[in-house]
Amino acid sequence: MLKLSIRLLRARLGTSVATLVALAAGVMILMTLSVFIVSAAVYKPDPGRYAAVDVVVAHRQVEIVTKEFDGETSVTTAALPEGTVPADLGDKLRALPGVTEVQVFPGPAKDRVAAFGVKGDAVKAVERLAKENGVEAYAGDDRGFADRSEAGDARSFLMEAGSAFGGYVVLLIIFVVTGTVGLAVRHRRRDLALLRAIAATPRQVRKLVMAENAVLALAASVVGVPAALLATTWVHDQLVSRGFVPEGFPITGQPLAAGIAVVLILLVAVVAARIAARRVSRIKPAEALGDIAVEPSRGGKVRFVSGVLTLGAGGAATVFALGATGMAAQASAIGLLYLYVIAVALLAPWINALAARVLGPVLRTTWGVSGGLAVANLRANARGSAAVLTALVLAVGFGGSVWFLQNNLQRQTVTQSQDGMKTDYALVGSMPAGTAEKIRRTPGVEAATGVRNTSVVVPIFDGGEAATAKAVDTDGLSSTMDLGVDKGSLDQLKGNSVAVSQLRADSSGWKLGDGAKIWLPDGRQVTLKVVAIYDRGLGFADVLLPRDLVAGPDDQVLVRGTAVRIPGATLVPASELTGQLSRDLALSAWLNKLLIGVMVGYAALAAGNTMVMAALARKRELAVLQLAGVTRRQVRRMVTAEQVGLLGGALTIGALIAAVTLTAVVNALTGSLLPYVPPMGWVVVLGGATVLALVTTILPVRRLLRVPAVHNAGIKE
Amino acid sequence: MDAVIRIEQLTRTYATDGQKVTALAGVDAAFARGTFTAVMGPSGSGKSTLLQTAAGLDRPSSGRVWIGDTELSKLNETKLTELRRDRIGFVFQAFNLIGALTVEENILLPGRLSGLLPDPRWVSEVVERVGLTQRLQHRPAQLSGGQQQRVAIARALAVRPEVIFADEPTGALDTTSAGEVLSLLRSAVTDYRQTVVMVTHDPVAASYADRVLVLADGRIVHDTPQPGADRIAEMLASLGRRLVAVEG
Repeated sequence: MLKLSIRLLRARLGTSVATLVALAAGVMILMTLSVFIVSAAVYKPDPGRYAAVDVVVAHRQVEIVTKEFDGETSVTTAALPEGTVPADLGDKLRALPGVTEVQVFPGPAKDRVAAFGVKGDAVKAVERLAKENGVEAYAGDDRGFADRSEAGDARSFLMEAGSAFGGYVVLLIIFVVTGTVGLAVRHRRRDLALLRAIAATPRQVRKLVMAENAVLALAASVVGVPAALLATTWVHDQLVSRGFVPEGFPITGQPLAAGIAVVLILLVAVVAARIAARRVSRIKPAEALGDIAVEPSRGGKVRFVSGVLTLGAGGAATVFALGATGMAAQASAIGLLYLYVIAVALLAPWINALAARVLGPVLRTTWGVSGGLAVANLRANARGSAAVLTALVLAVGFGGSVWFLQNNLQRQTVTQSQDGMKTDYALVGSMPAGTAEKIRRTPGVEAATGVRNTSVVVPIFDGGEAATAKAVDTDGLSSTMDLGVDKGSLDQLKGNSVAVSQLRADSSGWKLGDGAKIWLPDGRQVTLKVVAIYDRGLGFADVLLPRDLVAGPDDQVLVRGTAVRIPGATLVPASELTGQLSRDLALSAWLNKLLIGVMVGYAALAAGNTMVMAALARKRELAVLQLAGVTRRQVRRMVTAEQVGLLGGALTIGALIAAVTLTAVVNALTGSLLPYVPPMGWVVVLGGATVLALVTTILPVRRLLRVPAVHNAGIKE
Repeated sequence: MDAVIRIEQLTRTYATDGQKVTALAGVDAAFARGTFTAVMGPSGSGKSTLLQTAAGLDRPSSGRVWIGDTELSKLNETKLTELRRDRIGFVFQAFNLIGALTVEENILLPGRLSGLLPDPRWVSEVVERVGLTQRLQHRPAQLSGGQQQRVAIARALAVRPEVIFADEPTGALDTTSAGEVLSLLRSAVTDYRQTVVMVTHDPVAASYADRVLVLADGRIVHDTPQPGADRIAEMLASLGRRLVAVEG
């Protein structure tokens, strides 16, 4: 069977190449992504100042245990930026049998220390004691995790990016490969019908198709793995030069990543082949006897109903995403894109037929006889072009939404920051708490606010997550920053109170006056009264805390009035502050844009691939048309008209999906119903899709037309 | 009579665009071992449907088909394929061969798929008989239409099937090639006592047969032993006149 499938593949290099390209690109993307995730997962930071001890007791993360609906419990962890350990734990540690020495690493306050370094062979006991007191013990290779480090940050940054995009990338690859394999199998209907007629059982045909795709997936790995190695090196260099990852951060695990990518692609290809073969084994062997292989022009009822249901689910998710705000809405809105694309994939035969009917008159008027032929083809081939339509919609939907989402976020952040910044300048650097107090007394200074940027852990529906926070000096706060307070007042931000952004209040389910349970940066869990809810969360922070809840020096003092200089701090004018912010954002957006760019690129590649394949499969049909008296020019015009008809449907639906998704997410994040799209943005997306659709069809058709028609008319498709 | 194929009350209707089309309206027939039958009739008379249902390529709407002692309606798709592979040979009008495989591989394909490769001496005898010994390593695209049909016949003979079904095997061939193909089918019957059922519209092709069945509107209207080409042409012509009379 394997030998036979290889023979059959070699004879149809054209369509095999299309599948091969889609698979190889999939291997490359998956493996590159995996290398970074694996590198991050196996990375152990240098133990640094803890090298001499056996176990470190520190508090680097919060564990939140939640009960699921089914009674199972799940644990989520959120990182603490400056967690501390209660000082009285030291005596308990010293009392443990087997502990020979306990070193104290002092913290910002008297009753909390940064960490305890424990020597001795009582690792298990220390771990148990730490757990009982809500902190963690780090032993052996893990000691490096007890301190925050550049490399440790790089590790969590890579893990975060990987987990945020990994699922979407895999889903995209499944989508593309299933479409391409399905189309390739569809084009061989005749050959497979003949095999069925003369000798092959349905099972043998299925095995043959699966074996072919397994061979293709392995061949794709031969190309994809080296390409991934090159891509890894390039991305690593970029990450280092942009400061995401320290230069010495080890990139390892290529064999494991290659294994993951190859196995996954092999699995996807074989499963896709199995699905496509399910259709094939239903081919009536009698089809081999006819002149042309006819396939039913529409899908079955099941397909239609599933399509409508998926579309309904998309609609419901949209209402949810538009109605609610917050993180839940953001997640569901990106999932929306996939829901809509799946609905389009299922409903494609009907969409194509509808597009043919609606656009029919236009095509006939514009292209005359060729237009009429094009309409007939579009209608007859409504099911065959489903893969092409889906690929185009995917590319347009992706390019038009996720890419611009990043722009919207950046733009909104900078705008909020600009609008809310009422200071003249800021002093940036480490300054002891209380510096602002002194500056305020300087003549000519109207107001000064000390700020410590940090993060807290807040509850969300299925656990907890880190949220950006600013601990601020509340005295005269309204003169230095305008957060756009919606409810309550910042004047009450004293003692055990907190102000939160609208987005945060929604996702954590807090209302004005509620007691908000949060974990402070040092790891203590407290209940704070929500005294204000403000709009400019993106530009400032999710959470605003009274300065005295967070220990440690200020890292910024915002000043209104005369310039004051403090040794060790840099004076930065307000205008440059937002400039710096947008530069920082652009930098952190780079990886997101790269990942999104790769996904858009892959979707576009799949669309182009599919169209070339569909065009080349029409050899015989175009030859027969020519023999029937249709001139080459008319054939070319017919093909152009068909593409225009197909594009009409694809661009409309793709743009609609992109608009709905983008609006839903932007609304969730900013409250604005009108997303910002760069002026050239839509031109690039829609124009790009049009050029792609025309070039990938018209060039192959031109090539087909160069061969005399008589030569092609007799061959089988 | 030693019937290799028996057909009983066979009907086949299709539903296209909501309209019911009757291709076979109750056909009874039996085909004896070592006979060559031509099935004829105007377009749409049901002759191709008869061949497809008798050969297990398509399932009848009602009625039964036996190949030897096996009744086809009881078989699932896999068993049906195995029956076709082991006991039936096919020669179609065109596109009979897998383009990716050589002539030899095409001939051996059913055997390879069933896991039972035929006796090599028999295969080389068949290949010699159809005159393809020099062409075994060629691809179908390198052969003429007549040569391609001879490959298909060799493939059909290689498994020593009980019956060979041929659907317009000479439809795409010139007179000389057609004659060669028909002689080969004839000798399969005469020399190897195989049974051939051939659908054709050509009276000359039909004259190679022992028996001619003529179908019209899904029913057998003539069942004549060895009528000769002139008589066949006459029967078809009268059928045409009758149809015109009915329609007019």
